[in-house]
Amino acid sequence: MKLYLALILLLPLAGGLINALIGRMLPRKVGETIACGVIWGAFSCALLAYTNFTAPVTAEYGSWLSTFDFKAPIALYLDQFSLILTLMITFVCGLIHLYSVGYMGEEASHARYFALLNLFVFAMLVLVLAANLPLLYLGWEGVGFCSYALIGFWYTEEKNATAGRKAFIVTRIGDTAFGIAIIWMFLLFGTQSIAELNFLAPLAPPGVITVLGILLLIGAAGKSAQLPLSVWLPDAMAGPTPVSAQIHAATMVTAGVYLLARMFPLIGSSPTTLAAIAVTGGATAFYAATCACAQRDLKRILAYSTISQIGYMILGVGAGALTAAGFHLLTHAFFKALLFLGAGCVITALHHQQDIFRMGGLRGKLPAVYWPFLAGVLCLAGFPLSGGFFSKDAILGAVFERGGSLYTSLFLLGLLTALLTAFYTFRMLFIVFHGEADNANHQENGERTLPLVMTITLVPLAILGLGGGVLNLPAYLGEGLLARFFGSIPGFGAMHSSHMEELILQGIAAAVSLLGLGLAWQRYMGVQRSGVLAREQAGSKLFIFLQNGWYLDELYRLLFIRPFVRLARFLWKGVDETAIDGALEGLARLMGRLALLPSAWSTGKVATSLFGLAGGVAAILAYCAWALS
Amino acid sequence: MIVPLEHILVLAGLLFFLGMAGLLTWRANMIMMLVCIEVMLNAVMLVAVGGSARWGNADGQLFAIFIMALTSSEVSLALAMVVYLHRRKRTVDTDLFSELKG
Amino acid sequence: MSIPILSILVFLPLAGCLLLLPAWNCRRLARPIALVVALTELTLALWLYASWKGLAVNPFPQGFLLLEDAPWIPAFGIRYTLALDGISLLMIMLTAIVFCVGLAVSWDSIKERTSLFLSMMLVMEAGIMGVFLALDLALFYLFWEMMLIPMFFLIGIWGHGRRLYSTLKFFLFTMSGSLLMLLAIIALHLLYAQQTGVSSFQLQELLKVQLPLETQLWLYAAFFLAFAIKFPLFPLHTWLPDAHTDAPTAGSVILAGLLLKTGSYALIRFGYPLFPQAAQMMTPLFYSLALIGIFYASLVAFAQQDMKRLIAYSSIGHMGYVAIGIAAWQPVALSGAIIQMANHGVTTAALFCMVGMLDERAHTREIAAFGGLWGKLPLWSFFFLLFAVTAMGVPGLNNFVGEFLILAGTIKSSPLVAVLAFCGIVFPLIYMVRLVQEVVFQKERQPLSLNDLNPREIGILAILALLDIWMGIHPAPLLEMLHVPVQLLTGGTP
Repeated sequence: MKLYLALILLLPLAGGLINALIGRMLPRKVGETIACGVIWGAFSCALLAYTNFTAPVTAEYGSWLSTFDFKAPIALYLDQFSLILTLMITFVCGLIHLYSVGYMGEEASHARYFALLNLFVFAMLVLVLAANLPLLYLGWEGVGFCSYALIGFWYTEEKNATAGRKAFIVTRIGDTAFGIAIIWMFLLFGTQSIAELNFLAPLAPPGVITVLGILLLIGAAGKSAQLPLSVWLPDAMAGPTPVSAQIHAATMVTAGVYLLARMFPLIGSSPTTLAAIAVTGGATAFYAATCACAQRDLKRILAYSTISQIGYMILGVGAGALTAAGFHLLTHAFFKALLFLGAGCVITALHHQQDIFRMGGLRGKLPAVYWPFLAGVLCLAGFPLSGGFFSKDAILGAVFERGGSLYTSLFLLGLLTALLTAFYTFRMLFIVFHGEADNANHQENGERTLPLVMTITLVPLAILGLGGGVLNLPAYLGEGLLARFFGSIPGFGAMHSSHMEELILQGIAAAVSLLGLGLAWQRYMGVQRSGVLAREQAGSKLFIFLQNGWYLDELYRLLFIRPFVRLARFLWKGVDETAIDGALEGLARLMGRLALLPSAWSTGKVATSLFGLAGGVAAILAYCAWALS
Repeated sequence: MIVPLEHILVLAGLLFFLGMAGLLTWRANMIMMLVCIEVMLNAVMLVAVGGSARWGNADGQLFAIFIMALTSSEVSLALAMVVYLHRRKRTVDTDLFSELKG
Repeated sequence: MSIPILSILVFLPLAGCLLLLPAWNCRRLARPIALVVALTELTLALWLYASWKGLAVNPFPQGFLLLEDAPWIPAFGIRYTLALDGISLLMIMLTAIVFCVGLAVSWDSIKERTSLFLSMMLVMEAGIMGVFLALDLALFYLFWEMMLIPMFFLIGIWGHGRRLYSTLKFFLFTMSGSLLMLLAIIALHLLYAQQTGVSSFQLQELLKVQLPLETQLWLYAAFFLAFAIKFPLFPLHTWLPDAHTDAPTAGSVILAGLLLKTGSYALIRFGYPLFPQAAQMMTPLFYSLALIGIFYASLVAFAQQDMKRLIAYSSIGHMGYVAIGIAAWQPVALSGAIIQMANHGVTTAALFCMVGMLDERAHTREIAAFGGLWGKLPLWSFFFLLFAVTAMGVPGLNNFVGEFLILAGTIKSSPLVAVLAFCGIVFPLIYMVRLVQEVVFQKERQPLSLNDLNPREIGILAILALLDIWMGIHPAPLLEMLHVPVQLLTGGTP
């Protein structure tokens, strides 16, 4: 097991290093093969680890940071949760790697791309498997760096580089809170091991736990793009589409959910923290869903949908329904990867056109993309019996079960969000794939034929997305597989509700989803379609407000960025150069002036010196006479 | 001891101040300044010889002879420099030389 | 041990200067001589590192691994005492490496008065080695000044820009600090003589002086000022950006890599042990200056337009963490601070080297002149990104190790400072990401025809990069080396 775990990490790392160091010299095919091979190798190791899995294990490989009482070894911890996530990550990322071979087929710097992609997977796996918090932080920052480099992959465009920078900085702000939580836990418990921390948690006073929980929540909000740190994710679309898929589906954004779930035994004892988590999740889900309704960039719709779906997961964690959150994390990974890869196909076929109003009528032209994409849309919209339906409903059910006015209103907000989700998802589908083609665009370029590897990778994802519900069926359809598998992990205890209630809740959810579908159909498929599209392109006030993400970016620019830049300039010019250096230079000038006074005596004439001499002698004599008398 | 030491000291003091006053005032002629310096040196020598006589110790006289030897060499150098300076500016007025200014 | 290896470490560079004399006018010969001397020093340092565990079996008193002691000026009780423990060993290795890098990086760029330059470098190496080894305060002061003067000439002769202004500023700042320190050393010596009737400048002896608190405070203030200028702490830092900007590349490398460390080293070795209560009392001041420095320098760095200035300001910020680690005076934080000194030495030296290389090619250091270098100088950009990421404090690379240990330790002695300082780690990311983006990414802003790195430069950077990564993922041997001295310093028993 120790070997498998090591290989799971070392393979992507080795792949990344090979591509980074000598990738330029290798033939393209070799680099691609290595990059994909190591991920699938890691997946095989994960499968082997799964088959050999009996009980949670900790494997220690060496010391990393250890001095005096501070110990953070390179140690991995595998339990059911991290095992399932490892399987998911390696599998989905493996598909994304394969897809990338097609998508990046014409890209010159493929070595850099695959190196970063591999390192990204490595960092994410470290994050998931780490047995102690500093190591988890390594993975945590590692994904931050890789996302920075990948989002800004096409670095010559300033927009892309800025988007990468934004992602790095915003997530780092969250990371700081997480880091403070880490060292604080070291102060409180004297250990860094996650298992020990969770075990020792009851010893800490509740107030401290609440604060720790809030710090972890801020950290998670940074990585998972929750309010108020959500602004980086929509811009992160600047990267190549497979990168977006990887960030959104399998890695990075789920890190926050993972962290909160992992530390749940610690933070779960504080109702305040849980409420804060739930509110953050619910509010973000709603916020992002409203934004998604008004986007016209295909990838931005998906980006906002990701923020919204991660909001559901965080809401689930806040409701204490870890299994449901983990379940949604899995199904979301499948269908979101599917949607992004499908969107990548569309974008490639249309020569990097991302504006949905320039698309339309693609169903006939890209059937191999349409059908898998439809599967993804059904999942995202929570269409009855799809994977997304079951997982989202599990979360909403848990929130409802929790009761109380706060959670009930969050449940209602969640339902409203579900309605919006169904609406914008089908809006996207109808505008892009149905209706008439935008002739101006198509006639100019025609469609590019897609490499087979791009469309074929959509199929397994579509199957998993649609059928993902089987993983954890509701209790009335038999026991959930995941619930049983996760059952023994602390914090993952199952929720119990009556079958009747569950059926009613699912009925409501199904109705909401269908309602959303109906609204979208009525608006975009009927006779009004062309009029609606024209109006949306013109954009009303509300529409533009939503399109810009409630002007959150502008708010931050006004509140933080501009003052920061001004302050920096002021400190440099005003304080450093004027106040400090000015004072010192003033002192130097003063000394110079003082030196001029005696220098008037040196005329260079013998007479002056002689008088000075005589005067000096006279003074000494006078002093002697005065002293003696 | 016929002459008391006090008298010698007073005479030496007078000579010294005469020389010094001359040095400070007669700046227009470098040669006169040299002469004044000699006067001051003589005052010093007088003190040395007087002291030697007062305490019956030869050191003072030795010192005086030593100063005489030094003075002669010093004056010869100084006069050479005066000649050189005169050649440069056709004058021996020290106030017209200010090359020492830093 | 019969071979006086510490004396060899100190005097070999001086002997190297003599060796340079016959080859004074022959640049082709002088450069290899200097490099061989520096490499010999490195070999000695590495040999010491390889054998430190053997030496630790029966150490000298106070946990020193090696000690060389002889009377020097008996009239004043000045002795020639050199000693080596884990902390000095780490610093010695850093010194040897940074000097090799400094010589290699200026291999082609110093075209005038090469031999003078090389001898200055060697004298400086001797001085810095001495500072890290001396245990006698008089001897320490001698070395302290000895490393200062070559740097004065280094900036003044081979610098660029306003080099005379900068070098004078540097000299005046450091000199005023060290003169006060000299006074304090003499005062300490006199007090010791008064109390014991014996005169001595030895650290181990002076530690026994009983000082009233007020005297301690004054003396500590003098020491602290000297070291704070070297650190540099806000608001005594303004010499640093100027000196860095106008120094030749090797000068910046040594300035950032080593000279700044002498301040923190001396504070650990002399300041705190000699005046424990005073240091304790001044801790709040030390903390606040360090914290202000972190935020202030990082903000100012963000506003810079000159790459070298930006990195110079970033140095101030990073040294602020070292200051916090020392101020906490707690085992974990102190180990972190010492390891961070080495880490920062490597990283910043590398960054200055890289800017120097770029400057040699493009003859400008303005950020606004560059852009899109990834496409033109892929190797340079690769290394630059690596070191920039290190400076951002991404774990797995060396800066993180030091900063994280410092913060983890500091939270034990003062949680508020640790939390505030942790907030400060956002800033290096912001200005470094900006620097990387504007230089390496985006579009080219001025058409510059540049060649990528040559093998010599690749060699330098590859070695530094390997060190960077090695110290980032496996700092355990170094931390182990620091264990005993840190424990002794913080009042534990080994």
